[in-house]
Amino acid sequence: MQNLLAGLLLIVIAAIAAWQASPLPMGTLRHIGPGMFPISLAGFIALIGVALMVTWARGERNSTGRWPLRGPLFILGSAVIFGLAVRPLGLAVAGPMLVIVAAFASHETRWVEIIAFAAGMTVFCLVLFKYLLSLPIPVAPWLIGY
Amino acid sequence: MEALYDNLSHGFSVAVSFQNLGLCFIGVVVGTLVGILPGVGPIATIAMLLPLTFNFDPTGALIMLAGIYYGAQYGGSTTAILINIPGEATSVVTTLDGHQMARQGRAGVALGTAALVSFFAGTVSTLVVAALGVPLTKLALLFGPAEYFSLMVLGLAFAVVLAQGSLLKAAAMILLGVLLAAIGTDLETGEARMTFGLDELADGIDFVVLAMGVFGFAEILRNLENPESRDVVRAKIGRLLPNKADIKASIMPMLRGTGLGAVLGILPGNGAVLGPFASYTTEKKLAKDPSRFGKGAIEGVAGPEAANNAGAQTAFIPLLTLGIPPNAVMALMVGAMTIHGIIPGPQVMTKSPDLFWGMIASMWIGNAFLLVINLPMIGIWVKLLNVPYRLMFSAILLFCCIGIYSINNDTSDVALTAMFGLFGYVLIKLGFEPAPLLLGFVLGRLMEEKLRQALILSRGDFMTFVENPVSGVLLAISLGIVIFAVLPAVRKKKEEALSS
Repeated sequence: MQNLLAGLLLIVIAAIAAWQASPLPMGTLRHIGPGMFPISLAGFIALIGVALMVTWARGERNSTGRWPLRGPLFILGSAVIFGLAVRPLGLAVAGPMLVIVAAFASHETRWVEIIAFAAGMTVFCLVLFKYLLSLPIPVAPWLIGY
Repeated sequence: MEALYDNLSHGFSVAVSFQNLGLCFIGVVVGTLVGILPGVGPIATIAMLLPLTFNFDPTGALIMLAGIYYGAQYGGSTTAILINIPGEATSVVTTLDGHQMARQGRAGVALGTAALVSFFAGTVSTLVVAALGVPLTKLALLFGPAEYFSLMVLGLAFAVVLAQGSLLKAAAMILLGVLLAAIGTDLETGEARMTFGLDELADGIDFVVLAMGVFGFAEILRNLENPESRDVVRAKIGRLLPNKADIKASIMPMLRGTGLGAVLGILPGNGAVLGPFASYTTEKKLAKDPSRFGKGAIEGVAGPEAANNAGAQTAFIPLLTLGIPPNAVMALMVGAMTIHGIIPGPQVMTKSPDLFWGMIASMWIGNAFLLVINLPMIGIWVKLLNVPYRLMFSAILLFCCIGIYSINNDTSDVALTAMFGLFGYVLIKLGFEPAPLLLGFVLGRLMEEKLRQALILSRGDFMTFVENPVSGVLLAISLGIVIFAVLPAVRKKKEEALSS
């Protein structure tokens, strides 16, 4: 199953790339245009995709394992929330939000511990990045104006 | 010889400035600190700590990054010995005998030996880097577009052959990396390519965004799924310094390991990964009693660790002289250099000699720091091994997010990284190894540029790549190693070696 899905993934990617690159001029070999390189790459990738599907058809039976949704949902979700929140609300809010949302991803989370950890990590990051390294990251614009 | 001395002393005069010494020291300490956390390999460590360097001048920033890299490497060896988890492929071999030594109550000796041989190997290979820097840079300046293109093909061919798992999948990852690099504004015509009409993609995908997504985020997802099994050594660490018998047993393996590692590390396309394997096999073959290996033989730590560190160092050669990173970690260094406005390649040495020689001198200083800080601080490192992953992953995530946001102060970068995290997770599930993707991505733009230039020069004749003698030989070698690797007998051997 693994190689069937892997091959399909490659073919889909190649198709998207070819679709995106199709309006670009191909040029000639003498003077390659912007489209030729991506289109040829897409072709090679699709070929490998087909080859992988052939290995599946010939009896490849590797399992792809389980696909739990909890990890990706909360981990990636917490990053997206951080990205949305960091500018309007600042690191002082976005930081603990990220840690707490991400904590839902693990079933080993202990809530008291994680809340304390979120506070500690946020203070640590503020001191390190804002005050020691002076990165221009907002702290709490709604409260202190920067 | 004299020129080498002059260059090195110039480098040391740059590297021993108060600021640069401090940055090197901090780099080594935090690199070890993060690299030692189980489940955090050197790539994730460097990606995570990259924002620490944003505000320094390029020389200082690169010295610090190099320090982080050595620290992360050494951290990987420490986890290999103490908890049987290698930080990355090059410290896999160390788990075999190092962890056995630790179980027999000789963890201290294993760690001490690893630190001492690493220092020796680091010293030798710093000299190798310095000695080869000038001639190779001159050679690189003679290379035309066709030679350059073929050299990169050779590097990528090596990367395919040396990758874990299926060759087809590794090749797909390389091509996909090159394809991702093509996103953004076309070099010649300025047309937007494959940007889906998004302004955010007009400048292409940021290297750090890709690296943190595919390595940082995806690795967290993978680690969370696999319930932890840490075999933390409960036995005493014991004395650190090897005794006379240990030294006698280690000295020849160390010399051989250094030689093997240094030579293999120079190869384009992650030759460094072969060093420890080659060293271990050599020592086992040469040993009077090979059955001791795998049961705590000190030679099995000394040789591979020397090879590991020598290769880690000489891997800088293709990067600094040719601008071609040989592996994913070096690709990350390219990303870091670009953030600081430096395009790696032969021109770095001539245009910014301070940076070039200062960085080489700081390699040696970094190795010396490693030795000095690691041995006394082993107690602290052991405590870090007990930090539970349920706390670690959110800290890693927070560091990554702050770093990504800080590159461009752009919130859409964070979302894009999350997308690549998902993509990397799917890739892992489908049996793709993401390291070659990163390598292809870093080389992609340069490859296309050189390909187009070469074809303009040859008026569209592809034979130029074969007729040009240097380029022809490089392509022939690339073809040769790929054919060699698909031979059934070799394939089986490789699987055995890389899976052990």
